[in-house]
Amino acid sequence: MSVSTASYLARRAAQKERVRILYRRALKDTLNWAVHRHLFYPDADALREKFEANRNVEDVELIDRMIAAGEATYNKWRHPDPYIVPWAPGGTKFCRNPPPTPGIEVIYDYGREDND
Amino acid sequence: MASALRSAILHHVRVPLSRTLILNGSRTTAVRSMSSHGDDHLDKQEVVERVLDVVKTFPKVDPSKVTPDVHFQKDLGLDSLDTVEIVMALEEEFKLEIPDKEADKIDSCPLAIEYIYNHPMSS
Repeated sequence: MSVSTASYLARRAAQKERVRILYRRALKDTLNWAVHRHLFYPDADALREKFEANRNVEDVELIDRMIAAGEATYNKWRHPDPYIVPWAPGGTKFCRNPPPTPGIEVIYDYGREDND
Repeated sequence: MASALRSAILHHVRVPLSRTLILNGSRTTAVRSMSSHGDDHLDKQEVVERVLDVVKTFPKVDPSKVTPDVHFQKDLGLDSLDTVEIVMALEEEFKLEIPDKEADKIDSCPLAIEYIYNHPMSS
């Protein structure tokens, strides 16, 4: 079983992407739970330590299982009311003022009557 | 005579909306006008300065090595998780929400600057 086949590398690359996305979501979630920065920084450091502890794992199956376990933990700890930027989907300003359909114009005649 | 003068003045005052739309080009139709968020379109130099400031204040980065065309992992010696942290810091700085797939691809300073500059809602 050659270690450097293309499929193995592709699988490892996909796993690395999953890990990065999981870390990103977990970090945002940590910020949601710990709103104040002085609480967020130690929590973020602890999260980073958890990821760093498993940095040198080489077995592909084990990595898959650990990623699945990590995602399950993330789903368990998701904040019910996360901070979302207002104009993004899920934010408070999303779709609030949709742009008017093109072709609709406002004629600024300031109430001027045509027979004046 | 007064009505002719008045109609002449009003003829100058009356501004059809279609002309102002054409003046702004595609920006007005792409971005919601009269929105209080995202209408201060940043210019490139300001984006570059703010991105460099964010990268320089990252604790694991050596500030003297940061230039606008630096790659986070190759030139600054950072980790992929550190790249994730930098992208999150940039999101907070510019009040953006970057989708996960796009954020994964931001790997270097020029990519980040280009993405933020082209994003319509960065402020």
